[in-house]
Amino acid sequence: MDVPSTVATALEDRPVERATCLEAGAGVGNATAGLLAAGAERVYAVTNDAEHARTVRERVACDEPNRSVALEADLRELPLADDAVDVVTAHGLFNVVPPASLDAVATEVTRVAAPGCHLVVDDYEPLPADAGVRSLFALENAASQLADGRPALTFYPAATLRRLFEGYGWTFERERTLLNPVPWTPSHVDAHAEEVRSRAEKLPERQRERFVREAERLVDEIGEERIGQMYSVAMRLPD
Amino acid sequence: MQTRPLGETGHDSTVATFGAIALNWLEQEGANQMVELVLDHGINHFDVAPEYGDAELKLGPKLRQHREEIFLGCKTQKRDYEGAARKLDRSLNRLGTDHIELYQIHGLEYEHELDEITGEDGALEAIRDARSEGKVDHLGLTSHGDPQLILEAIERIDDLDSLMFPMNPVVAGKDGDEYDYEAVLERAEAEGIGTLGIKAFAGGTWPPTDELPEEDRPYANWYRPVDDPETIRERFDFAAAQGLTSVLTPGDPKLVAMVLDAARRYDGMDEAAQRSLIERARHDDSPVPEQLHH
Repeated sequence: MDVPSTVATALEDRPVERATCLEAGAGVGNATAGLLAAGAERVYAVTNDAEHARTVRERVACDEPNRSVALEADLRELPLADDAVDVVTAHGLFNVVPPASLDAVATEVTRVAAPGCHLVVDDYEPLPADAGVRSLFALENAASQLADGRPALTFYPAATLRRLFEGYGWTFERERTLLNPVPWTPSHVDAHAEEVRSRAEKLPERQRERFVREAERLVDEIGEERIGQMYSVAMRLPD
Repeated sequence: MQTRPLGETGHDSTVATFGAIALNWLEQEGANQMVELVLDHGINHFDVAPEYGDAELKLGPKLRQHREEIFLGCKTQKRDYEGAARKLDRSLNRLGTDHIELYQIHGLEYEHELDEITGEDGALEAIRDARSEGKVDHLGLTSHGDPQLILEAIERIDDLDSLMFPMNPVVAGKDGDEYDYEAVLERAEAEGIGTLGIKAFAGGTWPPTDELPEEDRPYANWYRPVDDPETIRERFDFAAAQGLTSVLTPGDPKLVAMVLDAARRYDGMDEAAQRSLIERARHDDSPVPEQLHH
């Protein structure tokens, strides 16, 4: 698969070659593909979503069965030993981590990080007030709160995640802008509308229908949009 | 308009080059106006080929009127000595000029073609002989084929002055060697070879002809071009920001004025904005519908 330019840019100044790596929150395996392309010795792609784990296996891990493994696990309880990894990526992870879980994830990432480990956190700055996609994300959050009792998406400023990890002993190395503006394409907009639908499935029928109708209306209204910024923060644990 | 050195030719080309194929779709009077419009925008590098219908003939009158203002590139699809020499003379005749600044091997696609042009009776020898006779100043090569073949051509042709190849966010987002025109750009820069970008405005392929017959297409390009001013400006900025010497205007005359405007206003594009275009294009044909992130 093609390594996204965001991933390639975030990793280009990190010592990935021959490193043991963790992609925390593997999604569809974008960072795993980037880590393998950059010469990682081994990549653990961890996701709590069974379908994502399968996607990572099919798209990425099957080409490199000796260098990568997709694990289905909760990031708050990583199935890895202490000090096990040299590089951790959280590429587009934290926007799906609710505030209540931030500390548990940071604790586990820090536990499995070896001394001198590098951490790359790539995520989105909070969207400007006039962003059309904000309405869709608000709908997604409302459906998620009603269905699961937690938000689906939280956009943390780079400074917030930097300070979170500084609290766990990591030192800041650099920040760069990966995307400006962020292209929310029709496929992204559709994917988020689908998230609204799947969460609304758990709601009573009348409520569900309202969510689905509103999601459809927003998909038509937004179409696609380019707005906001994606950042990359690099940090390191002291040796 | 910004200019950049065309490799080591000593010529500074404007950051946009006029693709004179656009003249083929115009009557002579319209073609004359188009050339004046292009010159009014400060463009100093034109590119034409005998394969572009009547473009050479239609360029002729204004070329002769403004000969000193125009650095002219022309091409040959012939791979053998005799064929290339004849095509060059024919182009000189049709253009009504006694010399061409940059004469290029047109559309290199296959290894055997590279063998032929570099061989004893190959087209390159014809261009070199024409160069010593003063008919041609510089030697170039164009290709929208395999970047690895272009890299090999750089290896095998010592006196290459320019290369023309595709550059846009769609190909820039693909990793395979078959899309690695960035490697060509990097190598050309290291070797002091000028670089000319084509397909900067390609938006995708046309629907199959049973859905949209060729005669019903709204543009003359063989690919579907991007066609609104904002997207055209982004595409121009992207291509120019990659470090190419110059970006070719698209083949359809309806698009040329928008590109000229973009070129005149070009003032760079930062890397986060370049990646934004790459990622936008990548997700348009994403094989993974559940993709939420970039």
